[in-house]
Amino acid sequence: MPKKGEIIIDERLCKGCALCVMFCSKKCISMGKIGPGGIPIAHFSDPEACTGCGVCGWMCPDMAIEVYEYVARRPL
Amino acid sequence: MIEETAITKNLVCKTPAFRLLPLGFCAGCHYGIIFRLIDEVLEEMELKGITVCIGGGGCSAMGAMAMDVDAFGGPHGPGTAIASALKRVCPDNFIFAIQGDGEQGAIGLGSFVAAAVRGENITIITMNNACYGMTGGQLAPTTPLGMVTPTTPEGRDQEMAGFPFHGPELVAPLRGVAYAARGTVHTPANRQRSKKMVKTAFQKQLQRLGFAVVEFICACPTNWRLSPVDCARYIEEKMIPEFPLGEFKNVEKNEG
Repeated sequence: MPKKGEIIIDERLCKGCALCVMFCSKKCISMGKIGPGGIPIAHFSDPEACTGCGVCGWMCPDMAIEVYEYVARRPL
Repeated sequence: MIEETAITKNLVCKTPAFRLLPLGFCAGCHYGIIFRLIDEVLEEMELKGITVCIGGGGCSAMGAMAMDVDAFGGPHGPGTAIASALKRVCPDNFIFAIQGDGEQGAIGLGSFVAAAVRGENITIITMNNACYGMTGGQLAPTTPLGMVTPTTPEGRDQEMAGFPFHGPELVAPLRGVAYAARGTVHTPANRQRSKKMVKTAFQKQLQRLGFAVVEFICACPTNWRLSPVDCARYIEEKMIPEFPLGEFKNVEKNEG
C-alpha cells in the first residue's frame, strides 16, 4: 500500500508535551526517544499508518511538526 | 500497459514563520496552539503586512513578540487603550491586542470596558488560563470556584475571593460591541471552531462594525500541577461548566 502521509518532527523545537500522541487517531506517534535537550520527545514510530490528516500539526504548541500528504492522481 | 499515477506531495501543515523559535512556553501550554491559529488566520485573510499586534504583560506577551507581524509591547493592563489609540492614529491598519485573563479582568478592566463602551473598532484576544501563569499561578479573576492556587490553598471561596470573571458576557450587552465569543483549543474540533470565531472577529474590524472580543480557555500544566493530558480532562469537567463556550453576540450590520 502506498504511503498516504508523512510528518517531520523538529527535534530542536519539541518539548515532549505528548499532545500529538494524545490526538493522533492512528497512533503513529510515540514518546520515548531522547532529544537533544535530554528530555523524552515525540517520534514518528509508524509511518505506514499515517494518513496526513494534519491534526498533530494543528495541536503542536511548539510548531515542531510539519505534515505532508501524498495524493495520487492519474496522468491527464 | 501499466497506468502510471503521479504522486504529489502536499504540505498540509507547516511551521509558521515566527521570529523567535522555540517559544518560551512550558511543555503542553495551549498558548502556542492559539498563536499558530492566529498566524494561520492572518495568512488566510492576507493581513500580515498591515497588522499591528499589541502585547501586554505575562506569558501572552511572549507570543505577541514572537509573531511575524509588527508588535508593540505595552505595560501590563492597558492593551485595549493602546490599541484604541493606535487604531485612531492609523485607521487603515489592522490592530489587535492579546491579553491574559488577569490583565483583562483585574488591572486592565477599566480600559477594557471603556473601550467596549466607546465601541472602538479593534479586536481583543483574551487567553484565560485561570491563574497568573508567569508569576507562579496565583489567584486570578477567572479562577473557578474550588480551584487550589498558591494564594488560595483551600480552593477559591466566594466569601473570600468572590466569583469568577466572565469577560465576553460582561461586554456583550453593550451597543458598541459587535462580536463576543468564547472558545477552547483542548480538542482538534474545538480548535477549528475557535479558528472560525477568530476569523469572524477579525472580519468585524475590517467591516468597521465595532469592538470584537474572543476569549480562549487554555491549560497551564505547570501551575495547575497536571500533565497536559489531564489538563484536557480538567477543562472538560471544570472549566467549561463555569465558562460556557459559543458566541454571545454577533452583529451582522451597522445600526446606523
